[in-house]
Amino acid sequence: MTLRLPDSGTLALLLADSRLPSGGHVTSNGLESALRAGMPPACAREYMLTRMETMVPVEAGTAVVARHALAAGGDADSGAALAAVDSEWAARTPSAAQRDIARALGAGLARLARTLWPRSPIARIGAPLSRATVIGAIAATTGMRAGDLVRVVAYDDAQAVAAALLKLEPLDPAIPVGWVLDACAHLEPRVDALAALTRPHAIPASGAPQIEMWAEAHPTLPRRLFRA
Amino acid sequence: MPETIRSLRLGVAGPVGTGKSSLIATICRALADDLRIGVITNDIYTDEDARFLRSAGVLDPERIRAVETGACPHTAIRDDITANLLAVEDLERDFAPLDLVLVESGGDNLTATFSPALIDAQLFVLDVAGGGDVARKGGPGIARADLLIVNKTDLAPYVGVDVPQMVADAVEARDGAPVLALSRTDAASVAELRTWLLDMLAHHRAGTHVPQDPGPMAPHFHADEDGGYVHSHDHDQDHEHTHAGTPATA
Repeated sequence: MTLRLPDSGTLALLLADSRLPSGGHVTSNGLESALRAGMPPACAREYMLTRMETMVPVEAGTAVVARHALAAGGDADSGAALAAVDSEWAARTPSAAQRDIARALGAGLARLARTLWPRSPIARIGAPLSRATVIGAIAATTGMRAGDLVRVVAYDDAQAVAAALLKLEPLDPAIPVGWVLDACAHLEPRVDALAALTRPHAIPASGAPQIEMWAEAHPTLPRRLFRA
Repeated sequence: MPETIRSLRLGVAGPVGTGKSSLIATICRALADDLRIGVITNDIYTDEDARFLRSAGVLDPERIRAVETGACPHTAIRDDITANLLAVEDLERDFAPLDLVLVESGGDNLTATFSPALIDAQLFVLDVAGGGDVARKGGPGIARADLLIVNKTDLAPYVGVDVPQMVADAVEARDGAPVLALSRTDAASVAELRTWLLDMLAHHRAGTHVPQDPGPMAPHFHADEDGGYVHSHDHDQDHEHTHAGTPATA
């Protein structure tokens, strides 16, 4: 049986592709609720940048540490190692709504990973894990580089906002593409430091209370298009 | 019958307002005493359909779950079915064993059909109030769903639709595949639906039913310099069994 261990760059392309069948299209990463609360669509660029400074380091740091935990530990305690990393992530994600959608996205990605990499520890774990933990486990299974992992997490975060913006407030689609690149560049100076994390307690603990409040409000919005 | 066979997963598709949620409520009422049932709804906006069904009181509210499809109701039942598969699997595990899981599509238009990787069989729902000519116009769901339902026949006198003619058009569009004229107030039609469902469930359990893909497109005409040709996408219409007790033309 083929192990399906592509080059780290190919895997990054796969995981960043919105066509990947893992249910990722259901989230606007909080943008819908932000717009409903009155944030002007033109502020979506600043919204992406703010996430890069706050939530993305938590997500990317979690993914990197999950990758390290699996790569460093034996198979026997891999489930416990991932659960420990995931609880560190949960402690840094105070919004229950954000934890819910992250676990739903994690479940979709884990379902895909079970088929693609049936011998990976991720295939044996039943408990719901956040998307960040799952993508870190996939990186460990496939040998994806930590820097690529950080960049995939960051790119996905911004691109989900950009794609949702085009559904909610249509505009020249090239414009938010530029914002995605701006947002990724905004994180770039921190990529090496995030990629070097190994210990759970070193995962950044930065939040954005306004975005968290919007995330909490989202499930109560009437006639919402997105799940989160 | 072996308990190890998982539930029959039945999709319910069709345009907005044709009565999909109401049909699911009717199915639950007709079979609640015989089968252990769960329901997954797909809404374009929020979880309204799930709330309607819970309030209808036809099923334990915990057995009705909503999938929110992020403005992509077609994607969620056809190409990226991840969220729906997870919801179905969770429901089957939480209420094991279930006999029947009904998956309602987000109502949109005539083109949305379910992937056979998500459901075992699918109903497509039209209603008389949508116009008597809709069945004749065809589409993948109308032409190739396992059962086409012409719903709300009790309204036909008020909207000037000839039900037998609409059913005959549908049977022709489907090459003779089953069509059921249904009204929730017509007990005989509900009994026919019940018979069809139990028959499908029996075939599913016996392993003699093979899920079919109605296809993304209706057979369509391509104009070209030589006058054009009909492109059928080569869907195999030969089921491996015939349904005993299948309602023919109602």
